[in-house]
Amino acid sequence: MSDNPSPILRPTPTDGFPSLTSLQQIATENTLKNRHPSAALPTDTKPPEAVLQRNQHIQFLVRNLIQGFPARYTSQDASQPWLIFWTLQGFSVLGVGLDEKNKKRAVETLLGLQHPEGGFCGGPGQAPHLLPTYAATCALANAGQPGEGGGWDAIDREKMYDFFMSLKQPDGSFLVTYDGEVDVRGIYCLLAVATLLNLLTPELIAGTPEFLATCQTYEGGFGNASFPGWALRDDVAPGEPAIDPTSPRPPLGEAHGGYSFCALASWVLLLPYINSYPTHSPSLPKPSINIHSLLRWLAHLQGEAIELGGFKGRTNKLVDGCYSWWVGGCVGIIEGLLAGGGVGVADESPENEAAGEQHDDGWDDVDDSLYNRKALQEYILYAGQHPAGGLVDKPPKPADAYHTLYDLSGLSAAQHRVIPNSKREKELLACWTEDEVKDPVEGLRRDTFAYALSWLEEEGASKYVGGAQNRVNATHPLFNLTVTHAENMMAHFYKRDVPSRYRTKLSK
Amino acid sequence: MPDIAGDGPEEQPLFSERPDWTDVTPVPQYEGYNPIAPIFYTPQYKDATDYFRGIVKTNEKSERVLELTEAIIRLNPAHYSAWQYRYHTLLAIKAPLDAELKLMDSLAVQFLKTYQVWHHRRLILTAIYSPPPSNASGLNDPTATTSSSAKSKPSPESQAAARTELAFITRVLMVDAKNYHTWSYRQWLLAFFDDVHLWEGELGFVERLLEEDVRNNSAWHHRFFVVFGRGQLQGEEDRVAVLKRELSYTKDQIALAPNNASAWNYLRGILERTGTSFSNLRSFVEPYTKTHEDRLGDEEILDLENPAPSAEAELPCVAALEFLADIYEKDAVSKSVEIWKRLANELDTMRKKYWEYRIKEALKDVPVQS
Ligand SMILES: [Zn+2]
Repeated sequence: MSDNPSPILRPTPTDGFPSLTSLQQIATENTLKNRHPSAALPTDTKPPEAVLQRNQHIQFLVRNLIQGFPARYTSQDASQPWLIFWTLQGFSVLGVGLDEKNKKRAVETLLGLQHPEGGFCGGPGQAPHLLPTYAATCALANAGQPGEGGGWDAIDREKMYDFFMSLKQPDGSFLVTYDGEVDVRGIYCLLAVATLLNLLTPELIAGTPEFLATCQTYEGGFGNASFPGWALRDDVAPGEPAIDPTSPRPPLGEAHGGYSFCALASWVLLLPYINSYPTHSPSLPKPSINIHSLLRWLAHLQGEAIELGGFKGRTNKLVDGCYSWWVGGCVGIIEGLLAGGGVGVADESPENEAAGEQHDDGWDDVDDSLYNRKALQEYILYAGQHPAGGLVDKPPKPADAYHTLYDLSGLSAAQHRVIPNSKREKELLACWTEDEVKDPVEGLRRDTFAYALSWLEEEGASKYVGGAQNRVNATHPLFNLTVTHAENMMAHFYKRDVPSRYRTKLSK
Repeated sequence: MPDIAGDGPEEQPLFSERPDWTDVTPVPQYEGYNPIAPIFYTPQYKDATDYFRGIVKTNEKSERVLELTEAIIRLNPAHYSAWQYRYHTLLAIKAPLDAELKLMDSLAVQFLKTYQVWHHRRLILTAIYSPPPSNASGLNDPTATTSSSAKSKPSPESQAAARTELAFITRVLMVDAKNYHTWSYRQWLLAFFDDVHLWEGELGFVERLLEEDVRNNSAWHHRFFVVFGRGQLQGEEDRVAVLKRELSYTKDQIALAPNNASAWNYLRGILERTGTSFSNLRSFVEPYTKTHEDRLGDEEILDLENPAPSAEAELPCVAALEFLADIYEKDAVSKSVEIWKRLANELDTMRKKYWEYRIKEALKDVPVQS
């Protein structure tokens, strides 16, 4: 059977047994199928074109940045660094640079959100919180630079580290703020920032991989946290793990796309640490997660053709543009893990990479992706764009700053393949002398640096629905920054001269 | 004072116009710079948050702070700092926490989708029923919230409180049966109080919800949490009985609506959790992998343990085929490959890449035949 250019838009089967879920599903399918290029339209109507309305989206972002947000964004008053990050990163994905004057304003605004006790706040005078800390740091990666007025050197890293440590829980998790909740979003935000700003220590992340592993549910995806109570030991000697590894720590909350992205990205940021077991950890067994059940669950979240192949965030929920990044991006990370072989460790034998080819029985593996990238791009192009600029959850919802970034980031992840490059990793490991890494903590920092920055766009693997005019920039799957921004920031905070990616031939 | 004519804080005078607040110096949000991407607040919101910053600056903890933070929360329930400051104030002035819970009842329903409303409830309950040791370093002791669990035998008061709380959550789930935070909170509550009587009612609760909507994945997840979360499966006999009950329930739900990913995921989940081979389910699954036409030739045996798909079921069911392929993968991989190819090219083309990956992986483990 060959590829059918106009697939039959089959409704999701309901088995003659309707329920609220199936009724909502049908209503969504009825809205979305009209956006499909093969939808029966009146003869005088032009079929929709797969065109990224770049200018409208840029105008939307400019309006938000310069004019500001209307009163309904008051609900985001405690997420001010997010509003800035979504906008600046949106520009970066669209390949738009900010002028110096507005960069300066952005840096000034962001530094106004730094808390005197460390970390960043949701707004001036608010309390420091892990989520704004990620958003502000990544916004500074976009708009800032080293030196006077550049913002980077104004980040108080020592206080930020103390802030992080003050949130640490005996089960390896972190509160998002003082007396706040524990959840894997906060942990992801902390780890992304600690990696970018060179704040990782074994003390900070002890127990965190184990905690992440407990959040994986029977479905394969991750929930938002786990319950520590039954496993907490009352009287432990200093240095002993506070958790009994044999006691249950069940996940709270069902498998969810957003939490799964955060959990997996966190896990991958921790891989150099996990691979070092038991160097830094007390003699605990090396924790593991089930990548195969995660992949299966993620793959099943992609909606049918009638839903234009968008992603859902949970089983039996509705497709939504932002999961293009949280779920699509999460599959992208798995693709990187599977392609990378020995994760976190430079692969010595790049010749054996094509293990699957010896059984090639005519399966055309033109691309190595594990989900339907073409369909996801179509969802974003046909259903994700608001005619007045900005991107959406699904029609007929209005555009907002959050969906604009995560739809665009999802489009980027569906266009490009960003995976670990072992040659690059070796090159980056060589930025440290053997003497420097005699200290195991410095060794961990080096390995983290080299592994995180070894994720590079694979040349020749990009695919654009609607042609190259729809190309957006590749984004680093672990940070959602461009590789250049992540690299510049890390080079600065790890005090390394990073060899140019372009000078070295990085082909496999 | 509540205003009879209005029901919103909009009706209240601004804090800047109130004589009882003249001693507080409001702090504007931005001082000395022109921010990028500002929000255009309503005068009420700007007023309340200016006074909030003023209060935070002087570290005032008083009755009126409760009023101020409530005003902010009603305008923006995601203002985590207002929640946090409110919590610290409640403890500092020893405010009655049961009254706070009452107030939360109305706020939770109104702001269902906000993290903070649920987390605040959790803090209040924890503070009432498991106060941190008095030598804790103070309000900012971050370990106070998660590390203290009600390990000792629950008191009658805490049992009653937990029951009231469960009933409240049930009412909220009637409004939104898939609300993530509500479910997560319910699970925390059960584990925190860990009272056998509370756990006992949960299966019936889940079954009621699944009767309403068999595709409600949150309810399925809750079932898994209730059955396996506590890790109660000690004795072998118990384990067998529980697995039998769960298999029978899940098969019945699949028979009602076979194309229901939630039920299949649950089925896989309980098998994996109990270390049960997928092949045990083969005779149940097979009828679901055929078309109605193909099933005509099969002998119709009434098998109470393996309910057949209904006449209205849309067959073949992709989830059943996937399950069958997993059964075959161990010792008849070529049959698995056949199914995966059919899924990739005909029945589940959206996941073509995934099914091809499964083929590649399965064949990788097979020694090259000569
Ligand atoms: Zn969304």
